[in-house]
Amino acid sequence: MESSVEEKIHRKLELISKMEGEINAFVEIYENEALQSAKEIDKKIKEGKAGPLAGIVIGIKNNICIKGKTLTCGSEMLKKHHATYDATVVEKLKAADAIIIGSLNMDEFACGSDGTFSKIKITKNPHDLSRVPGGSSSGSGAAAGAGFCDATLGSDTGGSVRCPAAFCNAYGFKPTYGMVSRYGLSDMAMTLDQIGIIAKDKEVMKKVFKTISGTDKKDQTTQLADAKRIRKGEIKTIGVPKEFFESIDSRIEKSVKAKIRQLEKRYEVTEISIPTLRYTVPIYQLLMTAELSSALQRYDGMRYGYPADRNEELYTAFAKVREAGFGKEIKRRILIGTYITMKEFKDAWYTKALSAREVMKKEFGEVMKKVDALAGPAMPTGPWKFGERMNPLEMYAADTLTIAANLTGLPAIVEPLSNSIDDGAIQYYGRHFEDELLFNVE
Amino acid sequence: MVIMTEIMVGLEIHVQLKTNSKLFCSCPTNYRDVEPNTNICPICTGQPGAKPLGLNKHALEQLIKIGIALKCEFNNTSVIQRKHYFYPDLPTGYQRTSKPIGINGKLGNVRIREIHIEEDPGRYELRLGTVDYNRANVPLIEIVTEPDMKSPADARVFLEELEAILNYLDAGRDEPGSMRVDANISIDGGTRVEVKNINSFKGVYDALMYEVIRQQNVIRRGGKVQMETRHFDESTGSTISMRKKETEEDYRYLPDPDVPPIQISGDMIQELKEKMPELPRAKAERFETHYKIKPDDAWILVMEMEIAKLFEEMIYNIESQGEFIEAQKVASWIRGPLKKQLNYRKMTFAESQLNTSWLTELFVMFNKGELSDRGMEQVLIALFEKKKGPKEIANELQLIKTNDLSEIERYVDETLESQQKAIEDYLSGNEKTLNFIVGQVIKATRGRVDSKVVKELILKKIKR
Repeated sequence: MESSVEEKIHRKLELISKMEGEINAFVEIYENEALQSAKEIDKKIKEGKAGPLAGIVIGIKNNICIKGKTLTCGSEMLKKHHATYDATVVEKLKAADAIIIGSLNMDEFACGSDGTFSKIKITKNPHDLSRVPGGSSSGSGAAAGAGFCDATLGSDTGGSVRCPAAFCNAYGFKPTYGMVSRYGLSDMAMTLDQIGIIAKDKEVMKKVFKTISGTDKKDQTTQLADAKRIRKGEIKTIGVPKEFFESIDSRIEKSVKAKIRQLEKRYEVTEISIPTLRYTVPIYQLLMTAELSSALQRYDGMRYGYPADRNEELYTAFAKVREAGFGKEIKRRILIGTYITMKEFKDAWYTKALSAREVMKKEFGEVMKKVDALAGPAMPTGPWKFGERMNPLEMYAADTLTIAANLTGLPAIVEPLSNSIDDGAIQYYGRHFEDELLFNVE
Repeated sequence: MVIMTEIMVGLEIHVQLKTNSKLFCSCPTNYRDVEPNTNICPICTGQPGAKPLGLNKHALEQLIKIGIALKCEFNNTSVIQRKHYFYPDLPTGYQRTSKPIGINGKLGNVRIREIHIEEDPGRYELRLGTVDYNRANVPLIEIVTEPDMKSPADARVFLEELEAILNYLDAGRDEPGSMRVDANISIDGGTRVEVKNINSFKGVYDALMYEVIRQQNVIRRGGKVQMETRHFDESTGSTISMRKKETEEDYRYLPDPDVPPIQISGDMIQELKEKMPELPRAKAERFETHYKIKPDDAWILVMEMEIAKLFEEMIYNIESQGEFIEAQKVASWIRGPLKKQLNYRKMTFAESQLNTSWLTELFVMFNKGELSDRGMEQVLIALFEKKKGPKEIANELQLIKTNDLSEIERYVDETLESQQKAIEDYLSGNEKTLNFIVGQVIKATRGRVDSKVVKELILKKIKR
């Protein structure tokens, strides 16, 4: 039993000061503010006025705006940028009396699957410092896994919340697209991005989700969230797509299949097939890079971020800012995204990928009429060692099991299967707006 | 001189809409009378993470009103797209611009291809290297015509009518620079040249005149007109080549996933149709048939909504005073002396804030012969001060014409006495001298006498 929120914060800060030096989860720690708000919340608790997240310690991925705080997006481009406003999720967390203890490291502009693409620092896996924490919400995974925070927010465009959750032995949840406001989340790929939650405790995760979800007039894609928010019902049938098991590590296959056998006792479990799952990576890569190239267009050094040289000719100045401010992987993706949206090549690539996505959505729609949820592994492997995966294609393949949820907008949750990060995690996909039903699957 | 050539002109007209708030955020649209970068927010400055609010509904209504006036059909839905390019005034690196909303319209003989909505960028001061984002995200529409205008004058007439329509609908911002035009021109079926960013109607006319002559000269010298974009230099009235348009710029249009598709319902169009005012063209036709005034006078009157209103109010006032004056006389007076004074002051009638009843009173006095041309003009000028009515002014300045023959005779006698030499000239056969003497009398009375009366009196006295 916690004696006071203030004491809890002291304990968390102590833990952080002991371990953060090796883990590097945080971009910034808001020690004083956290203690200050702990005091205020203790007072509110005494007065019986505390909000639903009173005393819950939260860390925020550093691509989500906290007014007055550095918003690096893991990039040289924004290293010195301070957010001028609070993201809607941050506003809601503050209003619910959660304590925001710090901002968390990430792959540059959320592009990466292991955290090694951060230009700020390299976060390590709290369960094995020689291994990666997963990405792109590397700090969010590590901070939740290490117990620095009760819950962390990340962003999930192709698995960026679920991958680090699985690698750092925590629950990871990507809500239905449009369930949580993206206002104040720096864009990576607008039709795929969704703010998600990582936590060791499912109940905490649920509470945080209830707080941050809902319609926001500042994000037009959340307009259905309130109306559809609480879909009653119960998950009874689970489909297991065979394509999910086509190229995964044997140890992970073993543990996931063992878990599915347990599920068979409580649910009607059937093996199914979703053929488009084989094309998730190419469809995702094309749409994501196209949208990313548009989203990152605003970084020209004129208003904020890496400053443009005012003595240079305009276009030279822009080019120099983008040359120096963006890392290699970002430049690779911008170039691909630009290429495939040029008039000449758009039909062959971008438009085709859009149609493929529609086919996939339709196929999932049909499947989700027959089963209430899908189950399969979260990641094809456990966390790899630093330096092991340098090839971008290998890296992109790691997302193969998670990205279908982003392409279809479905909610998905990952759950660790043991205390060992090598046993991997199981992942469940649910129906649109049936987010809360997913929390109950065990 | 313009040699007779077949000319084809098409226009792309950007109009800033009149709305209180910006297109995708709630910042005020005033970007003129405020300090730079004060009417801004994370959305209109493209801060990381900011998303657009839903499309400003009033802006859409303004577009639809204009579309109705231009006899457009409307698409049921339209999508906001991102048009990508780099420029300091563009906060997100892309401009949000919709697909066509109104299509297949017509104004006079000019077909309207389409109307769509978009956001204005900020204002970049090249010389200072500064940007003011107050204007960023102000709602704009672009009206694209087919190349149906056959001369620079056609283009001017089209634009004048369009401006009048915007004025009638209260849909466009009536400030300098709120309408920007790109003009396409080709002659004798040759290559199309685009002149960009012309900021005034006179500019459009001048730029097109310049282009006609330039292109004719190129052809006469055996050259070929290049497909290109040119820039209009207002100070010299000439156009300057910007870039050869061999490869078209690629804006990588993508649908904006953050803005839901625009819905244009039949109900919305119907509702706005019912609220439409009488438009200039219809008004001009009514003036012609109802008041029997000349077509070109009717056209001039309706080009300014407040002037058209003045015309009808004056006629109403005159009739309700039990007077009868031909409407044509009122029209000519407004078009003539009144417009002259307004033009001289570079004012619209609305800006002059002249009082309609006073103007009517003045006109009636003038029409009754109580004031001479010169006297009327003097009173009119004094009316701009808006302190006193025309009667009072005329009395104070002693401008009321006198019909008192003995008074006139006194002035004639005085003049004749001092003009002995002129009388002799006249008597010895110099007819012109008579007009001089008449003029002297009128001058002495400060225009308060009728020249005919004076002339008769002089002739009587000299013969005697």
